[in-house]
Amino acid sequence: MIRELLSFYSWRMPTVLAYMLQNTEYHPGTYLAWFWRTTRFDKVLYRRELVPTKAARLLQLALRVGMLLQIAAGVGLVVWWRHDAASGGLAFGLALLLAYPIVWAHLVVVPLFLGRWLIVQPRQRQAIETSGKIFAAFKGEKIAVTGSYGKTSMKELLYTVLSEGKKVAATPGNKNVSISHATFARQLDGDEDILIIEYGEGEPGDVARFAGITKPTRAVITGVAPVHLDRYKTLERAAVDIFSVSNAAKPEHIYVNGESPDALPYVQPGQQLYSQKNALGWKVSGVKVGLDGTQFVMQKGQEKMALHSGLLGRHQVGPVAFAAALASELGLTHKQIQAGISKTVPYEHRMQPYQVVPGAWVIDDTYNGNIEGIRAGTRLLQELSAKRKIYVTPGLVDQGPESAAIHKEMGQLIAVAEPDVVVLMQHTVTADIQRGLEAAEYAGKVIIETDPVSFYTNLNLFVATGDLVLMQNDWPDNYH
Amino acid sequence: MKTVAVIFGGRSAEHDVSIVTAISSIIKPLELSKQYHVEAVYVAKNGAWFWDNKLKDIKLFSSGAIEQFIARTQPASVQFDSGLTLSRGRGLTGRTQRKKIDIVFPSMHGTYGEDGALMGLLDMSGVPYVGCSLETAAIAMDKVLSKQVAAANNIPVSKFLSFTSREFAHKQSAVLERITNTLKYPLFIKPAHLGSSIGISRATTETELRNGLEVAARYDDKIIVEEAVQNLIEVTLPIIGNDELTPAYLEEPLVSAEDFFDFDTKYIRGGGKKTGGGKKGAQGYSTIPAHIPKDLYQKAEALGLSVYRALGCSGIARIDMLIDSKTKEVYFNEANPMPGSLYAHNWRQKGISTMELTLRLIQLAEARHRARQAFTTVFNTNFLKQF
Repeated sequence: MIRELLSFYSWRMPTVLAYMLQNTEYHPGTYLAWFWRTTRFDKVLYRRELVPTKAARLLQLALRVGMLLQIAAGVGLVVWWRHDAASGGLAFGLALLLAYPIVWAHLVVVPLFLGRWLIVQPRQRQAIETSGKIFAAFKGEKIAVTGSYGKTSMKELLYTVLSEGKKVAATPGNKNVSISHATFARQLDGDEDILIIEYGEGEPGDVARFAGITKPTRAVITGVAPVHLDRYKTLERAAVDIFSVSNAAKPEHIYVNGESPDALPYVQPGQQLYSQKNALGWKVSGVKVGLDGTQFVMQKGQEKMALHSGLLGRHQVGPVAFAAALASELGLTHKQIQAGISKTVPYEHRMQPYQVVPGAWVIDDTYNGNIEGIRAGTRLLQELSAKRKIYVTPGLVDQGPESAAIHKEMGQLIAVAEPDVVVLMQHTVTADIQRGLEAAEYAGKVIIETDPVSFYTNLNLFVATGDLVLMQNDWPDNYH
Repeated sequence: MKTVAVIFGGRSAEHDVSIVTAISSIIKPLELSKQYHVEAVYVAKNGAWFWDNKLKDIKLFSSGAIEQFIARTQPASVQFDSGLTLSRGRGLTGRTQRKKIDIVFPSMHGTYGEDGALMGLLDMSGVPYVGCSLETAAIAMDKVLSKQVAAANNIPVSKFLSFTSREFAHKQSAVLERITNTLKYPLFIKPAHLGSSIGISRATTETELRNGLEVAARYDDKIIVEEAVQNLIEVTLPIIGNDELTPAYLEEPLVSAEDFFDFDTKYIRGGGKKTGGGKKGAQGYSTIPAHIPKDLYQKAEALGLSVYRALGCSGIARIDMLIDSKTKEVYFNEANPMPGSLYAHNWRQKGISTMELTLRLIQLAEARHRARQAFTTVFNTNFLKQF
């Protein structure tokens, strides 16, 4: 209790608040929610430091000056009361002295609200409107990529393969909202053959709105899973939003991941499914999975392609096969497709293998944040051979009212993979995962880790040659 | 939860190596295991003991801030109150803080730490400790004694002579004559009690021999001069265990036969000596497992285990051996009762993580302690009644 209270009055408080604002991308609502959830402000800056951008330094300075002025005013009032017995001087003075962190933690969002309302939002509206015109005038293929998971991977996969034969542009990183689409549109050369646009669903109506602006000619739905249920409330509402992209293109140009059970009820007649067995009329066979990637053969009539991708896991076969099939449909040769697929490598923190010490492998899947990803990862862990298998996770975020059930399922999936050791980063969902492990009669060792940073940074001390570690998901700071 | 005190630093030429071993290979993995409460006990170069959580941070030492820390911190003291208790004055009031220690993990290299001195202190306190006993440590750290023990157990050793530094200082010509009459060049001159290759020289001429002896005499009161093994393959074998032994991989340092493995090569350049490359630190300088024929590998491994038993090692030790690749003869070279960084890189490759290694070593320490407790060391007599 005393530590909690003292952390509130730490001299680093202005830096902590600026960091919290920076980490929530200056979104007042998320920042304030984090602020009120935090009990130990001295632990906020434990994992990372404030990036000293101009905005962050300005906020930090404003907070420092504001807090100092308030403290000075408080001291002044107390002194005034002591010398002249000013009525209320002591009470007001003490109130100012005690309340300065809380006052400035809230005052700091006022310019953000005003700035967002008066400057940012009008500018963004204008930029989005302009981008709508650019997208409408674009004559080539516009491929929208949406879904609860695997969007960025699919976008990168399509970009890598299609770039072998076409001029392609894709939205960068995980920039997947209207303003990022607008920035992307502004930077286009205009002579591209194909645009790949990622849609990041966040709340009902998002996908329809993005489709209305970007007007895709084709769309890929990578899957439906319980993600962002804090805003969607139900899986059905999330699925309906994702599938609203169907209205933007011809049914045969809507491609749905056939291995996403929660997506299947929403597939409309004429839409095409892809899976690890077939994609757009191509049959898939001879799948081999290892730490060096995935290989398989695709056949359609007399046409045959042997493909090797650096992407890890059986769950990648469907998306890779689809990318190859779509590339073929868009006119790329087998040679171009094979070259493109061979260039696909795991994306950062998404089933990305590396050796932490010689002969000890880590599969970094820390950007994975949904149950389907957990399913794919645990299946890969089960499939690969190792002297000792270790599974590491803090659980998933934003799982809404279904959180307990989802984490119990997660525990069961982990148990099926039979790791020798399960390391759970202690949090509110840990007990639910443990219930799943118990339900599936997991017999291995379970370690509850209270210091994730220490564990991750000292992983080299925890493993030895022959070990295989799967790390799935890593909670952002504002969830701790 | 039991408390483990990791004691490191010390009045030794290997003081700095000891800090790295303690923090990187013992304290961090033990804390990661969450099975023990870990206390860091640092013995400064002047012999003062300090006990503080800040000592767990390598930056305190690498930045040089340790000097300020020593200047403003009150040293800790040790109490032998049916065990071992650390004690220190703290805070503005000078309130004394005490901590009962259940197990000691010595992380000392060289004099007053690895040579049995610390083990004697710990034996007196009756607390379990990791690694070799007083007697073994004292023998193992004496390159002359350990070779004599090995030879007495029919374990081959290279031809050698030994002198005291005093002998060399007062009868230099006689010493040189004895060496040149008995041993053939090239020769290795070593301080008898130091590890980490400190003070070692190689001589192919009498001038080099004299210089080498002068260097060694500055570090130690006992000097050993050894005949170099021809067609040399140098190998080392880390071993853990009390009665049942587990060898790690036989490891082959990446140095040429004409060269030798000095402190820089081991700890600073990390094997860059020959290639100019190599990784930083102690992990890039060797081949694991050693690239030698299977029969020779097995012979060396068996010899290493024999030496470990002959010297009475327990817990952990590293046995260095020399192989004549033409004659296939394997010679015991020296034993190291507290290998730098526990040779964690080798154990890791063997499939034992650093965390698991430290936990196993603690278990071995407790097992040996239990076994020793079973012996009777005191008994009642009527002797005093006659006075």
